[in-house]
Amino acid sequence: MSELLIRTEDLKKHFPLTGGVFRKVIGKVHAVDGVNLEIKKGETLGVVGESGCGKTTLGRTILRLMEPTSGKIYFDEEDITELKGRALRKVRFNMQIVFQDPMASLDPRVTIKNSIGEPLVVNGVAKGRKMRDMVLSLLEKVGLTEAHLNRFPHEFSGGQRQRICIARALALNPKFVVMDEPTSSTDVSVQAQTLNLMKDLQEEFDLTYMFISHNLSVVKHMSDSLAVMYLGKIVEKTPYDIFRKSLHPYTFALVSAVPIPDPEFSGRAVILAGEVPSPINPPPGCRFYPRCIFAQNVCKMEEPPLRDVGGGHLVACHFAGELDFGASAQQEYADSFGDSIA
Amino acid sequence: MSDELVLHVKDLYVNFYTYEGIVKALDGVEMFLRRGDTMGVVGETGCGKSVTAKSILRLIEAPGRLDDGQILFFDQDFETKETIELDLAKLELEEMLEIRGNRISIVFQDPATYPNPVFRIGDQIAEVIELHQNLAMDVLYMKIAKLELTLSEATSDENRAEIEGKISYYRQQLDDPPEPDKKSMREAAKLKAIEMLRLVRMPAPEQVVNQYPHELSGGMRQRALIAMSLACNPSILICDEATTALDVTVQAQVLLLLNQLKAEIGTSIIVITHDMGVVAETCNWVNVMYAGTTVESCATEEIFAKPLHPYTAGLLIAVPKLHEVKDRLPQIRGTVPNLITPPTGCRFHPRCDYATSVCKEKKPLLEELEPGHWVACHHPLRS
Repeated sequence: MSELLIRTEDLKKHFPLTGGVFRKVIGKVHAVDGVNLEIKKGETLGVVGESGCGKTTLGRTILRLMEPTSGKIYFDEEDITELKGRALRKVRFNMQIVFQDPMASLDPRVTIKNSIGEPLVVNGVAKGRKMRDMVLSLLEKVGLTEAHLNRFPHEFSGGQRQRICIARALALNPKFVVMDEPTSSTDVSVQAQTLNLMKDLQEEFDLTYMFISHNLSVVKHMSDSLAVMYLGKIVEKTPYDIFRKSLHPYTFALVSAVPIPDPEFSGRAVILAGEVPSPINPPPGCRFYPRCIFAQNVCKMEEPPLRDVGGGHLVACHFAGELDFGASAQQEYADSFGDSIA
Repeated sequence: MSDELVLHVKDLYVNFYTYEGIVKALDGVEMFLRRGDTMGVVGETGCGKSVTAKSILRLIEAPGRLDDGQILFFDQDFETKETIELDLAKLELEEMLEIRGNRISIVFQDPATYPNPVFRIGDQIAEVIELHQNLAMDVLYMKIAKLELTLSEATSDENRAEIEGKISYYRQQLDDPPEPDKKSMREAAKLKAIEMLRLVRMPAPEQVVNQYPHELSGGMRQRALIAMSLACNPSILICDEATTALDVTVQAQVLLLLNQLKAEIGTSIIVITHDMGVVAETCNWVNVMYAGTTVESCATEEIFAKPLHPYTAGLLIAVPKLHEVKDRLPQIRGTVPNLITPPTGCRFHPRCDYATSVCKEKKPLLEELEPGHWVACHHPLRS
């Protein structure tokens, strides 16, 4: 048994763009563009990035909910990229997903009992009375009671619905769960409850999570290691606390842009000029160079590889470790922001 | 900072009359805004933040109704500096039209739905300006500027004399400007629109005025909306979750812009948000709302340093923070109550660790417990 649960090799997912009368392919959206990823057993990998950076597509492609354009996916050292039919279904037993919007992912006309029990029935694990008992024990695990069994999704609050989705994902006792923005539609007080529940369940069931979110603070709280995505690529992967040690200029700017609920820390944001470029025609070379103040000629020409700078800290930047994010850099960011708005 | 109030919401009640029952959305909300302040209104979904904002602009539609309370608006006359007191809750629709978008304006959450997609950005901003402002002077100045430009390019002396004659004619009119025609008014309004876009740091404003909303990115659209709201130099700008739909790096740009604009134009701003981080970055005063009531109101530093209401304290520690490492998050138990059948007494008591029998029976009033720190709680957290 190796200790890696998920591994991807140069994983790509491109969406064709069609146009014209004959729906000819006129371009490609490079949603995920060459991702190498490793997730250890029992670990939580956090994936952060801005909207459109490909984090959700990455999660879904790993689960084979979307067919990868190229590259390989390994689950427990088994190549699952080409699996079909029964073999794929067997692997899926062990991988589940919790989606962002719990209302949209629960059938409004099916009772909670049947919603959670469906994976059990479909996979021939249990039915009837046995299924009901299993569902009940799952519900109790996520903090709901027997009284909720025969209710419909609309009778629950947002936080409770997300718990139901989590219970359903855990029904088959999976090893790996992708959490795709599980708390972004819930309120702060409920978010804390959901996050705590997910941590408890991870310990109890020995789960491995891939936690996707745009909220840096939440991801950091949940994860053992963290991957930062920008335009379909991982730019930095670190087992450290990125708030204290980030080596990629994008991560640095992203971290500092998060408003911190503490007036002591406020007003220290590094403001990036411009917005994320379109993934249809990503910039050549380093994808971040048009917004980067440290960019030099080499950044325009050559794509920086994701390299290890020590201690499992991977960075895709030509100048990783050489850059100074001190006061002078912050001033330069401020100046570049000024130029772009003049 | 002056202590002069610009808005005072007093004991506001708004109910929504639905088939399922009466939703008591606002239950005696108290709120005040000083001139030049940026006030944050924070709370969870359904606590009445947006309903309060909409009631200030009287945008509550059926089945909702503003049932009781006062919304006092102290407007300053632009020239005489005299303060006029108005109760927005009792104004007629026609009088309200004079205020909406002119004296008080609002920027909504979703920049994808708010600019009208079939009109150019410039025309939409110009419409607000034309509607609310007297452009007679601007038209004259525009005409003079144009003539001066041709004067510098004119060659023959005869031409010069004629143009100079026209300029002095227009200059004389400046004291008592005549009603301009529609075409030149539109032109002047569009020039003002470009100026507004420049104020919100829009790149290439001359091009953007002729573009349609779909040609702009989310952050740019939000800038255009802020430009539109500021076009008439309002006393109050309400930002209703204005940065929620934006990415963090773009959100940081917009927050910086708001901070800079406040210094430049002296508008009082109300920032409605659910993110305590946004409050810390932009506001100097905070109003915390829970289930339709104001529970705490004080200066931003105060609320982070020593929150007095148990709900505020719980809300603050329940958020994971980037600069702290915690194994488990402290949580507030239970969920936000249904406002058709809200809890009696203090609306927070079923979720509160400090609740006693008095909390179930009597609704706590907002009181100034410490100088400049208002709390509505029977058992405030004292250090």
